Amino acid sequence: MSSVKEPAGTTNRDAGPAYSWRRPELILALVVLGLGVFVLVGTANVSAAASSLGLGPRFFPVLVGFALLLIGLFYAVDVVRGGQGDPEESEDVDVGARADIRTVVLVSAIFLAFAVLLDLLGWIIAGALLFFGLSVVLGATRRLHAGMIAILLSTLTYLAFVKGLGVTLPAGLLSGVI
Amino acid sequence: MESFRLLMEGFATALTPVNMLYALVGVTLGTLVGVLPGIGPAMTVALLLPITFSVPPASAFIMFAGIYYGGMYGGSTTSILLNTPGESSSMITALEGNKMAKRGRAAQALATAAIGSFVAGTIATGLLVVAAPLVVSFAISFGPEDYFALAILAFTAVSSVLSRSVVRGLASLGIGLTIGLIGIDQQTGQARLTLGVPQLLDGIDVVIVAVGLFAVGEALYVASRLRHDDPEIVPVGRAFLGRSDWSRSWRPWLRGTALGFPFGALPGGGAEIPTFLSYMVEKRLARGVAREEYGKGAIEGVAGPEAANNASAAGTLVPLLTLGLPTSATAAIMLAAFQQYGLQPGPQLFDHNPALVWGMIASLFIGNTMLLVLNLPLAPLWAKVLHIPRPYLYAGIVLFAALGVYALNASWVELIILYILGLLGYAMRRFGLPVAPAVIGMILGPMAEIQLRRALAIGAGDVTALIRSPIAASLLTVSLLVLFAPLVRRQAKRPSPTA
Repeated sequence: MSSVKEPAGTTNRDAGPAYSWRRPELILALVVLGLGVFVLVGTANVSAAASSLGLGPRFFPVLVGFALLLIGLFYAVDVVRGGQGDPEESEDVDVGARADIRTVVLVSAIFLAFAVLLDLLGWIIAGALLFFGLSVVLGATRRLHAGMIAILLSTLTYLAFVKGLGVTLPAGLLSGVI
Repeated sequence: MESFRLLMEGFATALTPVNMLYALVGVTLGTLVGVLPGIGPAMTVALLLPITFSVPPASAFIMFAGIYYGGMYGGSTTSILLNTPGESSSMITALEGNKMAKRGRAAQALATAAIGSFVAGTIATGLLVVAAPLVVSFAISFGPEDYFALAILAFTAVSSVLSRSVVRGLASLGIGLTIGLIGIDQQTGQARLTLGVPQLLDGIDVVIVAVGLFAVGEALYVASRLRHDDPEIVPVGRAFLGRSDWSRSWRPWLRGTALGFPFGALPGGGAEIPTFLSYMVEKRLARGVAREEYGKGAIEGVAGPEAANNASAAGTLVPLLTLGLPTSATAAIMLAAFQQYGLQPGPQLFDHNPALVWGMIASLFIGNTMLLVLNLPLAPLWAKVLHIPRPYLYAGIVLFAALGVYALNASWVELIILYILGLLGYAMRRFGLPVAPAVIGMILGPMAEIQLRRALAIGAGDVTALIRSPIAASLLTVSLLVLFAPLVRRQAKRPSPTA
């Protein structure tokens, strides 16, 4: 999606209500179009034979799929013509700041590692590592402090949810110890 | 007064010591999580939903009612004491509320919000008691085509009203509908869009979608542009109102209630429009001191919108309980909570589970009273919550999001799905796609499909069966108007390209 075709004559024009193919939001419009294709193709093998009365299981997905294609098309046209959504405002967000992609990638890596290792390490260890890693990446400077809170939080949630509410969380490496 | 008798029975259910305790836990947790910056009412309800799983249904809904009102209330504390507005429903409160706080009137701002919420919540819950049986007796004759038309109206209203750009609202709705399609078709048992992943056969749980889009999405978004300067938090003591504040507040409370309740009950109405309208009404009606203070921290500008906010929360419950129709993201998650217990809100729910419904409505009155008692003296404590260092806050949000999702099925694959949805939520925030249509599309999509197929099966495939009933025809007409009105307006405003 980053291989942008540039129509002649649109270079060096200010971002504004000008036509441009170089807009990151176009990715989202393409995702919507892609979902439309996914819904139509993905349900192609769902046969309607199973239902003799009324409409089969493909009828509604086909409606949704074509609607997505139509919406995605309008969305893409709107973005190319200079339409913009308003980035959401939030208490802790500096809307004017440049997107810090590095932090997003680090947060993603930590979370995915947590998801994969959770069953092996157990909730207490994996949860503590998740909290510690995220708080350091998000700017916590006192690492010892963050580490202590992380261990406390994951241990307390384990005890409260497993012993108190009867929720299943993996014990992992600590099984038998706790 | 049939409903009065049922309500009294509801009080009998809700006033048992155990259920009172659940209500207290609900409002406390709801307020605590709702106060946290970056967490709106919808995310509060989604994050706390897993806690109610191990509780019997009647108690769970009593606790849930407390979480709902508590989460709604918590947001106003944040917007009054913290400089920047959070969720859209309490954005208006921040306009005058934060200015009041900065002028040293934080205690009065919090008090008028708390008492106004109590007054509005109590009146609006009373209106709910009156309105619900009326809607039920009207809706009992609804056929599948009427329910389908209602769903379409909810879709178009939420996409068109909540977003400045209709196409972005619809894109969000489409994403939600697609997520709702995943899994086994309920009528024929055929798997759709599961990509061969066995965990997807039962569909993606709404907790995963809501927590992913709201909590993980928000954490990623904050990570991308974290404010590095310390937020300015106004210190506050016990909340109280002086005599002149009382006399300035009570009319705005009542006017806010009158605006909030009907808008909350309308599809796409939500809390944003009535709070804004209430703010404008109070501004126009301001005389004397109020007129001078407006824009610099007038108590009327907090009292009215806060009352409207809480009244709309009760109004939202009318279509949710009587028709099974969610009109906001928070209501959509509440609907999912009912479905977790195998209950389908609608006219039949009032017939089959009167104890549960009326127990929940009674607990709304109780929760409201508890909130008032809790919030006036505890304001300084809630203010402390705002001082949690942001790295810990967002690391904690992600930890609890993961906990809530893992608690569902103990599956790490669902944690990966949670992350993917979080990434989607990040992109939607970054590019200004509203999240609410996606959540409503995901919850209501499968219901719309079932009703559509039923209606067409009854009509033997004839498409005009969808508009045969006058109710369905008029609902679909309104949907079209809602969808195209903003487009027409924009076309009229757009200057000609040759200019």
